[in-house]
Amino acid sequence: MIDVARIDLWAAGGFGPFHRASVPAKIIFLLFVVSSAIISRNPYPLMTGYGVLLAVAAASGLPWFRVMGLSWYAALFAILYAISFHGGWWLVALFIVKAITPSFAVLMLIVSTPYPRIFSLFSALLPEVLAAGLFMTYRTLFILLDMMDNFAAAIRLRGGFSPGSLYKNSANISKGIGMLLVRAVERASSLYAVMVVRGYSGSMAEQGTARFKREDWLPLGTGTAVLMLVIVWK
Amino acid sequence: MTHMHIPDGILPVSLWVLGLIVMVFAAGFCLFRLRGMDRVKKIPLLGAVSAVMLVAMSLEILPLAYHINLSVVAGILLGPALGFLAALIANLMLALMGHGGITVIGLNTLLLGSEAVLGHTLFHLFKNRISVFWSAATATVLTLFMTTLALISIVAVSHIRPELISHGDEHGFLHNGQVSVRTFAIMVISLGSIGWTIEAAITGAVVRFISQVKPDLLDHALHRERDGR
Repeated sequence: MIDVARIDLWAAGGFGPFHRASVPAKIIFLLFVVSSAIISRNPYPLMTGYGVLLAVAAASGLPWFRVMGLSWYAALFAILYAISFHGGWWLVALFIVKAITPSFAVLMLIVSTPYPRIFSLFSALLPEVLAAGLFMTYRTLFILLDMMDNFAAAIRLRGGFSPGSLYKNSANISKGIGMLLVRAVERASSLYAVMVVRGYSGSMAEQGTARFKREDWLPLGTGTAVLMLVIVWK
Repeated sequence: MTHMHIPDGILPVSLWVLGLIVMVFAAGFCLFRLRGMDRVKKIPLLGAVSAVMLVAMSLEILPLAYHINLSVVAGILLGPALGFLAALIANLMLALMGHGGITVIGLNTLLLGSEAVLGHTLFHLFKNRISVFWSAATATVLTLFMTTLALISIVAVSHIRPELISHGDEHGFLHNGQVSVRTFAIMVISLGSIGWTIEAAITGAVVRFISQVKPDLLDHALHRERDGR
């Protein structure tokens, strides 16, 4: 899937212009790019838009090459769907850029915005159970990824992974997931109990995430440029 | 197989908007059902199961390169309402990681959430008749088969008006305006059936492990506790 821990590191560790922009501006940027993908019926403007996003990401000091690689995950279903149409290269190209362009924009948002800032915006919009569930998932995820790494290393050292044996691999993975689940529930319960004792009631303490800043020109300008490209270049 | 996430801009607008609307109503119904739940117990459980779903999705089973999603396990452990919300959270997190579209969160959640609901229902239907492993495994195969059919139906419905997606005739990339849902169905079912077997084996083993190590997690009465606030 995705290296979640690395994404979090990029989000928390960068100081570029995209990192300094406000969360609402980056959400608007994302909505503009997603709208471009929805309305586009020609692959060329979206390809150009993808190029614009790449250039902006590189100029802003975002890990553009890794982000580009991650954005291509979205192409899998698009290719299958395009094949089912018995379409030519044009259709396949259109579906691929429709998939990877918004995906790249989402990745630009998350590699430049620490999750607590995104969640603080969510907690203002979502019901408490969902906002708290999202936050607990995020907190538990990093603990689990670490535990899973240790588990995978232990299994490898003991010869538990064999590329040719589906049965053996499945059995070992099942035990690992079961153990992981039990520990995750215990850890999450302790964590939530501590948060409740400290006054947590479903909302995040992050302040000022909903205000626009001077640095917002970059995401707003980029989003507008991509949308204009698709509208003008039909 | 429904872990194969549909990206933005692929499906007709009417379809994903309908998906979002149905998902909002379904999530609202689930939240209504959960209004009296014990939050101190349930929210950590919801977070833990959603996180385990995400971690499981990151695991690749060699040599098939198949990714599991554990939505049936989520349904069995959390119950239908919380299981559906776990699917919504997993999809939101995946969309935030660029893995699955934002506009199609509704449809993706309906697919993954229906796996949790169906998985829970079928597991409880079988568990008094056969062993825990086989109950979970059978529930998983049947659930994944049904949700794969739902995925194919979504694609079939979206093919009704291909001009909504692109100007096919203009560029000559649609052969006589015909589209083949059959091709898509064959690909998804043939690849998926291998995946269902793997997912069923893993789900069965995970549920059996939990029933041996921490059986209270499978006790659904826990989910009806009131917090007394």
